[in-house]
Amino acid sequence: MSPQRVSRAQLTLVMLVLLVLQFYLRPRFGNARLSPDFLLIALMLFAMRSGPGAGALAGFLVGMIEDALTPARFGAGLLAHTLVGYFAAWSRAVFFADNMLVNAGFVAVGLWFRDLVVLMTSGTQGAQLLTELTVYSPLQALTTAAFALLVLVTFRSWFSIRLDA
Amino acid sequence: MASISDRRYTRRDTVLFILCLGLSILTLFAPASWGQGIADTLRRTVLAPLVWLQTRAEEGRTSRTRFRAVVAQRDSAAYVAQFLPSLRAENERLRQLLKLSNRLNANYIPAEVLHQPHATDGRTLLLSAGSRRGVAPFNPVLAPEGLIGVVLSVTPHSSVAMTWSHPEFRVSGYTVGGNALGVVAPSADVRAAEGSLELRGVPYRDSVPLGTLVLSSGLGGVFPKGIPVGTVIGTLREEAGWERVYRLRAAANPGSAAHVLILVGNRPPDLARAFPSDSQLEAMRQDSIARVLRADSIAHAARAARAARRDSLARSSPILGGTPATSGLPPRQDSTP
Repeated sequence: MSPQRVSRAQLTLVMLVLLVLQFYLRPRFGNARLSPDFLLIALMLFAMRSGPGAGALAGFLVGMIEDALTPARFGAGLLAHTLVGYFAAWSRAVFFADNMLVNAGFVAVGLWFRDLVVLMTSGTQGAQLLTELTVYSPLQALTTAAFALLVLVTFRSWFSIRLDA
Repeated sequence: MASISDRRYTRRDTVLFILCLGLSILTLFAPASWGQGIADTLRRTVLAPLVWLQTRAEEGRTSRTRFRAVVAQRDSAAYVAQFLPSLRAENERLRQLLKLSNRLNANYIPAEVLHQPHATDGRTLLLSAGSRRGVAPFNPVLAPEGLIGVVLSVTPHSSVAMTWSHPEFRVSGYTVGGNALGVVAPSADVRAAEGSLELRGVPYRDSVPLGTLVLSSGLGGVFPKGIPVGTVIGTLREEAGWERVYRLRAAANPGSAAHVLILVGNRPPDLARAFPSDSQLEAMRQDSIARVLRADSIAHAARAARAARRDSLARSSPILGGTPATSGLPPRQDSTP
């Protein structure tokens, strides 16, 4: 088995672990709006190691999961996650994306941007939009980035690969 | 200069991105029923194991929380029991009063709310009960405090409820005094904070005082009559002298609800008795306290009587070291010379 194949398998394993954490661990944290979004962590970590096309496709799939479970406005999550996945993949070329703190920062920015697009496309206005974008989204971005950092530190060697290499 | 493989790679990425973006925009502007259908199908098939996993996690969390709460209550009650036994009984009685399920004279299904980390989580809620347990579209969803929303779509093991904060939610409501009837909807005012409702269509001549409770009127056949919807906290606007729109503070908060009750089967005509007002609760509490105090005083009197009897027996029995009773007569003296 080639090292590349092993790395892909390891990365898939981490993605699966994050998927399980999203649905088994996150509900135990209590407040859903402040607890970390493991699916977004998985999307960001994958997209930043893939090409923009694969990132957009992964975002589309994650958005479909989110929209199926919170169908306030079906399509809002699809659009938001597609954009996040695409831009996360492009951001690797612009920034020094091998730094773990930069990775965690990307996750935080990605979550805030995702919330912005979801709120705007689902018609949220006024004080609620302001509250969401200035209070809840930044707090959730912080908790999500902290967990992303934890994942990166734990699986440091596994995340050193680039899938499009 | 980019190589041929790089250009192909870039073209493929662009095509994928445009495809995903196009599909996203298509679903965003497609009819809501299409999106609902796709979401239901996904939840029924691919996402069913994940929903099942989250349901188990939610149950585990709430069971642990409940266990901790019960242990804390037990400890508190044990502590209080050393001093005032009546308080423990009163607490138990109050807890019973708060159980909405005991007061509902209708068929209902309890369900857990599976909150999602989405910014629009409060608008629609994913519930852990589905059509296998008898849930159907348009079933009302209640919390102990009042109305949460209505079931929008159902799959065998889960359902989606549209809460009152959804822009398309409407319920016919009336004030407790019965002097005003209108339609309750989420506030469209951009200055309104999250969790604000408005009572529309109230005739200008019908003024509603602050603090008035608004209940569902039962019109339309979806929501039974008498479910608390909100409390009037102000006037939002007046429409040129013919209509007043009141701002309401919602009775129940969908964002923090962990458990809900879904009304199923035949709707009862009136649910007002299931949601007693504060004054009624206070009266029931006072009644409870009076009854507990009476029971305490009777038990105290019985204990005192038993103690007195034991004491009396101990004093009169020679076996227990006492002296026999003398019936109040002087001791008989030997009269023989």
